Amino acid sequence: MLLPYLLRGCSAKYVQVALSSTRFCIGCCSIRGVATSRSHLFLRGIPQRFLNLSRGAKTHRRKQSQEDDWKKRNKTILTYIAAAGVGMIGMSYAAVPLYRLYCQATGLGGAAIAGHDTEQVETMKPIRDRVIKVTFNADTHASMQWNFRPQQSEIYVVPGETALAFYRAKNPTDKPVIGISTYNVVPFDAGQYFNKIQCFCFEEQRLNPHEEVDMPVFFYIDPEFDEDPRMARVDTITLSYTFFEAKEGQRLPIPGYS
Amino acid sequence: MSTAMNFGTKSFRPRAPDKGSFPLDHFGECKTFKETYMRCLKNNRFDNSRCREESKEYLECRMDRQLMAKEPLEKLGFKDLVDDSQKENEAKS
Repeated sequence: MLLPYLLRGCSAKYVQVALSSTRFCIGCCSIRGVATSRSHLFLRGIPQRFLNLSRGAKTHRRKQSQEDDWKKRNKTILTYIAAAGVGMIGMSYAAVPLYRLYCQATGLGGAAIAGHDTEQVETMKPIRDRVIKVTFNADTHASMQWNFRPQQSEIYVVPGETALAFYRAKNPTDKPVIGISTYNVVPFDAGQYFNKIQCFCFEEQRLNPHEEVDMPVFFYIDPEFDEDPRMARVDTITLSYTFFEAKEGQRLPIPGYS
Repeated sequence: MSTAMNFGTKSFRPRAPDKGSFPLDHFGECKTFKETYMRCLKNNRFDNSRCREESKEYLECRMDRQLMAKEPLEKLGFKDLVDDSQKENEAKS
């Protein structure tokens, strides 16, 4: 009967020592109080029943209220933890559209920047002191029989100025061939500043047998290229086109609307 | 290259051109303008700033022959050339 009280007394003592490190007098009092009740219990002279009645009632009530306090504290802590868990799950769901908005605003990863407006072409000023060399590359898919090559190996442009470049494609076969092309810009980071006003990509182009055509690309480099610290050491941009053969009735998605 | 799904690598996202695609010049109607432009580039060590007149003329040829949607030249970035020619006309008259 005494043992649970003893144990609770011990644990109470340790808890109070831990909690009241800055409140010495209160801690001392409570420790002394528990210790004296325990030491009294070992005296044979005084009947234990009597001792327990007088001291045990007070400590029992104190311990009962302490237990209630602990239970209440545990409940609040559990509530907080549960709320934090639910909050984390909610944040992970909300992160998807938020991240998309963030990417659009800052243009990370070469994605289309929100606010990339075509009116800029009219008002932009060329930045004369930053000359960039744009090299051209042309590829075809292995099964594509066109002869496709650029007509100039490089062009020196400045940001903010529109430029024109030409590719040439020839169909050496006896059958009309429909081609469709895509492009790539290296370095990838510079790709977000490389704006094409008009080109020949993403739409089907049909070449009759033994026909040769000039394909122009009209582009400019965004003037903000000069202000980006990541582009400070970029001097060369490579534009690379690849032609694939298009099958009849095939519809490809236009990029940029993902 | 752009489809590698490595964590953290930046991939390239192609964007559609602003004004769409040029129709093909099957009959070579603007070939002479293109030749002029290429010759100008070769003479000027491929410096685009020196050959803007020729590129403007090539685009005007395309627009005249229905090979390009008609647009005011300012919208294509030739505002300075248009202003210069206007000033010359005014000076003459």
